[in-house]
Amino acid sequence: MTSPEVNDAAVVLKLEDVVKTFPGVRALDGVQLEVRAGEVHCLLGQNGAGKSTLIKVLSGVHRPDEGRIEWLGGEFKPANPQSAMKAGIATIYQELDLVDDLSVAENAFLGHEPRRFGFVRRGYMSRHTRKILTRLGHGEIPPGRMVRSLPAAGKQVVSMARALSHDAKLIIMDEPSAVLAHDEVGNLFRIIRDLTSNGIAVIYISHRLEEIREIGDRVTVLKDGRTTAANLPARTTPTRDLVSRMTGRTIEYVFPEQSTQDRGEELLRVDGLGRTGEFADISLTVHSGEIVGIAGLVGSGRSELLETIFGARRPESGTVTVAGKALRPGSVGAAVRAGLGMAPEERKSQALLLGEPIYRNVTLATFTGYARGGFTNAGKEIAEASRIADALELRPRDVRKPVRTLSGGNQQKVVVGRWLLGDTKLLLLDEPTRGVDVGARAELYQVIRDLAARGVGVLLVSSEVPEVLGLADRVLVMREGRVVREAPAGELDEDTVLDLVMAGSLQAEEVTL
Amino acid sequence: MRHLPDLSRRRLLIGGAALGAGAVLTGCTSNDSGDDDNNAQVNTGNNNANAAPGKQVTIGFSAPAADHGWIAAITNNAKAQADTYSDVEFKTVEAGADAAAQRAALQTLISQKPDVIVLLPHDGKELNAFGLSAMQAGIPVVNLDRAFPDAKAYRLQIKGDNYGMGVSAAAYIVAQMKAKGVSAPVIGEIAGMDELELTQERSKGFADTLAQAGFRVANRRAARFTADTGQQEAASLLQALPKLDALWNHDDDQGIGVLAAISQANRSEFVMVGGAGSKAAIEAIQADNSVLKATVTYSPSMASSAISLARLIAQGRGMSDLVELQVPKEITLASETITKENAGNYLKLGF
Amino acid sequence: MTTTQTAAPPANEKPAETRSWWRDDASEPLRRNLALFAVLILLIIIGIATRPDLYSDSTWVRNNIFTILELASVIGVVTVGMTFVIIGGGIDLSVGAIVALAGVWSTTLATQSYGAGGMIFCALAVGIGVGVVNGILIAYGRLVAFIATLAILVAARGLAAQISGKQTQVSTNTFINDIAANDLLGIPLLVYILAAVVAAGWVLLNRTTFGRRTVAVGGNVEAARLAGINVKRHTLLLYALSGLCCGIAAIMLTSQATSAQAAMANLYELDAIAAAIIGGTLLSGGRGTIIGSLLGVIVFATITNLFAINNLSTEVQNMVKGGIIVAAVLVQQFRYKSLSQLFNRA
Repeated sequence: MTSPEVNDAAVVLKLEDVVKTFPGVRALDGVQLEVRAGEVHCLLGQNGAGKSTLIKVLSGVHRPDEGRIEWLGGEFKPANPQSAMKAGIATIYQELDLVDDLSVAENAFLGHEPRRFGFVRRGYMSRHTRKILTRLGHGEIPPGRMVRSLPAAGKQVVSMARALSHDAKLIIMDEPSAVLAHDEVGNLFRIIRDLTSNGIAVIYISHRLEEIREIGDRVTVLKDGRTTAANLPARTTPTRDLVSRMTGRTIEYVFPEQSTQDRGEELLRVDGLGRTGEFADISLTVHSGEIVGIAGLVGSGRSELLETIFGARRPESGTVTVAGKALRPGSVGAAVRAGLGMAPEERKSQALLLGEPIYRNVTLATFTGYARGGFTNAGKEIAEASRIADALELRPRDVRKPVRTLSGGNQQKVVVGRWLLGDTKLLLLDEPTRGVDVGARAELYQVIRDLAARGVGVLLVSSEVPEVLGLADRVLVMREGRVVREAPAGELDEDTVLDLVMAGSLQAEEVTL
Repeated sequence: MRHLPDLSRRRLLIGGAALGAGAVLTGCTSNDSGDDDNNAQVNTGNNNANAAPGKQVTIGFSAPAADHGWIAAITNNAKAQADTYSDVEFKTVEAGADAAAQRAALQTLISQKPDVIVLLPHDGKELNAFGLSAMQAGIPVVNLDRAFPDAKAYRLQIKGDNYGMGVSAAAYIVAQMKAKGVSAPVIGEIAGMDELELTQERSKGFADTLAQAGFRVANRRAARFTADTGQQEAASLLQALPKLDALWNHDDDQGIGVLAAISQANRSEFVMVGGAGSKAAIEAIQADNSVLKATVTYSPSMASSAISLARLIAQGRGMSDLVELQVPKEITLASETITKENAGNYLKLGF
Repeated sequence: MTTTQTAAPPANEKPAETRSWWRDDASEPLRRNLALFAVLILLIIIGIATRPDLYSDSTWVRNNIFTILELASVIGVVTVGMTFVIIGGGIDLSVGAIVALAGVWSTTLATQSYGAGGMIFCALAVGIGVGVVNGILIAYGRLVAFIATLAILVAARGLAAQISGKQTQVSTNTFINDIAANDLLGIPLLVYILAAVVAAGWVLLNRTTFGRRTVAVGGNVEAARLAGINVKRHTLLLYALSGLCCGIAAIMLTSQATSAQAAMANLYELDAIAAAIIGGTLLSGGRGTIIGSLLGVIVFATITNLFAINNLSTEVQNMVKGGIIVAAVLVQQFRYKSLSQLFNRA
């Protein structure tokens, strides 16, 4: 329910018919937005709807071509990011723009260090940073600590400290939860509530509807650079309405039918696998045609487990057996030859050659197979990649285009599609829908289901519990490097899994996530 | 990298010793110096009054690690010359990679209490202080080729004449052109490493002397004292000068490449003069089957002379051909011109 | 189930991507090479303008083209290997030293006694051998390429000096010496060797799995590894390839200079890197062309030639070279990054 105070509070930011064109594209095509003091205003839209451009306009990176922006009652025309900061608008980007080798305090005051006689007042800077961190509920972070040594959540706090060091009255957060584990998200929300109670407005961008429901006051929906709905109540607007405004059609966040076929023979057997400090004594099986989901937080050892099974890390104990044959440990090549494929957690840094054409990315694991006498067969590769592109409804369909030009969801399709070529029997998927918009997400779910229906085994890791429950036949819950529960998906519900994942230490607000 | 620039422009030439004193010492001797493997230039001095054994002396020697045939020849010559004397104990320390390393090496040499030190410094300026302190401690220092700026830092300085090399090369070319009746010859020059002062001196001597005859250098390329750069620069120069009358190449080592480029370009219409006086170059001049007709010396034989003179200094004797009772303070070797006619005499001096 | 059919328009997140065919990535190599062609033509025009007397003689012009190509031949062969290493995400600072070591080793009296075949075999074996050492240090010893090849640079020059006794070793083998001196159908043999190496390099990079793996390893080493490519073995092969090119170059250079010495091929590493860079190879790896590198080498050789025929000093020539490198890198950056920023600032 939108609180009455918010509706009464003063409008601090108002955008009217803002237009921003780039050569050949109208990135923003008449955006309306109204943000009040002390509210959390959520911005919703698919990838490419114009959210990023809008943020950049507000933070002074881009200048709008048309329209009007009012900020605190006056016209707002920042010349550059610095002047937007000075005016009180701070932005926390998804890729946190911190300097790893500077201290927390130096990062917080980067670009506006307190000076006296030309010398930086380090003591003052340090004290002030400590004050801000305490206010953010993280007084335990030492201002002198190097940012490099902080975990992602800590870095985010530093980004927020930087915003507060500017005395920001509006903080824009671009998918802040994407880099956080569940318990850390709870902490983030606490900080946001504290900020808004002090009259600071927050523009919150997220793909996760659950978060918007929990933290948001009002929602503005963007589609194709236009505002399709403004100021909807965040808590009460039905999902169906929100999604339909994003996509232009009704979409149910529904998973494909569970396959009814009997599971086939055992494909993968992991026995007592362990790596010090990452995970210990993991045993699991995946059968042909079966989707096994691993639920767990970041740091639970789930990604490391997947990489170890795939041979990208060498196990210290235990064995991996594929189709009855022991897999050579620590060899990706052996795993691939045995029929394993993996879509790693970080698409761009771990899976894609961004400057290379789509088809070369799709055939990255198989081009040797199409080659004759060491000579590549580009025609065959393009044909095979196009077949995959058709099957996955890749956009654009032209596989000669560089992968760099694709949206996140389509890039993920390329990574998954890579293993549809060749003889992949078992697919390891690590956070397959991270940063993927709702529409492409549903398509990916269907792809995964189709694969299982064709007899491919799937081992899926995700931080989103509904995703694991909705997709998997069988679920393993990991916590602190160990499997704490294994059960058919039908026997588990979201609350149970979350409870296990977080070891029963849940607070009410986090359960709804 | 070879012979670093002379830092002292002082040329205190003494009497008749000025011209070719070193060459006199080595060149006037009998021909039976032997055909030893390392081709060292020694003066056995059988019929020289100075050759008579004197008091036993210890000569300390230090030169940079050789990275070029010329420096290698310096060290070989010094050792071979010392071996000819029964009254000389020769102690050598390699100078290492830089002036600092050489300074350290020299300290160990001092501890062995030599009567005299012969030194080819990495850099005359940087080792000037060492020269001073050794001289003050009563150990005479013989500076080889790279001068100390301070006259008190050495007892004897013996070095080659870079400017004179250019003069000799130009003089030979002028004479040849006059003899052929070429009034406006096209003259090329392949210099050595351009950033070295010695290269500049050589080129200046060459240009100055040509100018006196009304000639000038039509094209000058700088190589790097290596055969491959000599080839490349010569190939460029030959392409730039489709017709050439004379060519001076500063260094016979890089000259191997220069001659290769000339034969690769099928050119033979000009005369070429070399520099330094390598054995291969002298042999080629003697054989007279290429464009190389002469070379001007900058001979590592100076190391042999330095050892001979260091011995005399330590023994307190003068040079028997001179009236003076002591060895002169400075000797600058003349750059001589080796041609087909006198090549036979110089062959044993080639390095 | 239902899915959204809304085509996710990637365009407004990446404004620079909407381009005409001319801005399209497919035409990228063409554009990059065109820029170098333009520079080349400009240099030739300057040559004609400054020395019309020479350029009016067609025989001279023909000879001059071959002089430039011969000048480019040795460093060109080295640059082909270097281009592979850089595209593969590495760097090889030891190329000049390998050329020197291979040259010196193959011209020792002992080696020369085996004749031309023995000399060629020796040079290639030394080149590949040192390249393999580089590769082992980098791929399996996990040394940073810059440091490993720097160490090998120093060590190989030292070994070359040791073997040669710091002397210039003259090649008395007429077969070897004739390579640089002889023509076939009016074209110097060295130019044939350069053409053959470039052609082989082009095919290897663009038409073989080896080339594809090179781009993958250099473009995203983690992606390549997780796609099952044996990154370590490939890295080793890249340095061995660079070493092989150095071995070929050593024979060519020995033939040109009819000798070898420890100080030969001085700073070839910098010339090769510079040529690859102005040819459009990204120093960070993953992108580059053989033709671009060849053009880079030819541009440098043409500058040298231009300065030689005008009797201008090497100092100015080096400054011009430096300027061209900076300009080329700026043009690349402009092309890859700044286009969108430029529009945004407007």
